Amino acid sequence: MNVKYEELSPLGTYEEGMPWNPVEKIIVERRSIRSFKKEPLPDSMIRRILEAGRFAPSAGNSQPWRFIVVKSREILAEMEKDAIRVIKFFMFFLDYTTGNRVRRIIARFYAAVLIRILPNELHPVPFGLMSQIAQGKTPVFHAAPILILLVEDRRGVSNPPMDIGICGQNMVLAAHSLGAGACWIGLIKVLMYLPKWRKKFGIKYPYKLDVCLAMGWQKPKADGPVPREAQVVEWYDKGLNDPPRTTKQGE
Amino acid sequence: MATAHYSTFDRLRLPAYDNQKQMQTGDLLFDREKCKECGVCVQLCPGGCLLADTATKMDLISGKAKGGKYGVPHVVTMRSGATLCIACYDCGAACPHGAISIKRNFNPGYHFKRLTQTSEMRYPKRY
Repeated sequence: MNVKYEELSPLGTYEEGMPWNPVEKIIVERRSIRSFKKEPLPDSMIRRILEAGRFAPSAGNSQPWRFIVVKSREILAEMEKDAIRVIKFFMFFLDYTTGNRVRRIIARFYAAVLIRILPNELHPVPFGLMSQIAQGKTPVFHAAPILILLVEDRRGVSNPPMDIGICGQNMVLAAHSLGAGACWIGLIKVLMYLPKWRKKFGIKYPYKLDVCLAMGWQKPKADGPVPREAQVVEWYDKGLNDPPRTTKQGE
Repeated sequence: MATAHYSTFDRLRLPAYDNQKQMQTGDLLFDREKCKECGVCVQLCPGGCLLADTATKMDLISGKAKGGKYGVPHVVTMRSGATLCIACYDCGAACPHGAISIKRNFNPGYHFKRLTQTSEMRYPKRY
């Protein structure tokens, strides 16, 4: 439910229990938007959002990123089609949650092996999502009018994937503060199995494409606060040998 | 420490993704009185795991289903009793009538066990 706040706090001050300030409001109300209007954002607005990414912090100021904006409807449709094709291919072998019994029992064996090799890519959540995509129940890129590909330069300082994350989140928050919507999509990885797309976007050493942002106008407006799991936080604020005190964040 | 225990056994064992006992999947409660059957939640569900009586997510996106009431949605349940819902609550944030609440949150077992995240769901709090 969209919540209207009667007042927002000014930036640059803090009092206990004060209302959200505009930046916090954008942070707590940002939802990953997966349903967009057909018309894309104006080019000037995309450039403004990219500017938020350009000014993100990175280790050693290495700025290990390259941005690719995909706006062409033809290319987007082709990407969607190919992504579904690759996911269908993988899920034909891996998906042990659907199909007949014999198939499920056989698939479970090598699915378990692959889940151990790729525990993050085949976590229950993306596994379920890919299963749904293979069955044609949900799209990959959510029919977004714009994709911003965040290409990582692997020669960056320290930990380039993290810099990509910081840069992308800057852009997502900027987009939401301007009234648009955005969603992180990691499934673009599956396109990198096809030489066609690697060649098209120039993804060869030192570049690597792991994640992209879908962007566009929200339809319907879906931003709003949601409940999240309370977190256990440890505080080391006594002596060297004292045990930490724990609090529940969110309680 | 209030965090959950993660043993070697947990670490080595993968849960069966379609087994409700090994993987607590999410579930939602739809308030039949508040729900106006507009289909917003079905359209927005990231995994396409909400289903209304007369429309699926793909129908709503492609514009095949137009206007009218689609019926009170429900979470799709697999044959094994597990759902694909992870209680992300995107549907609840977007619902214009506040008709959705979380009945059970997502909590995978064994290898993917959640440790410092507790099962209490809290809204953002202004400290």
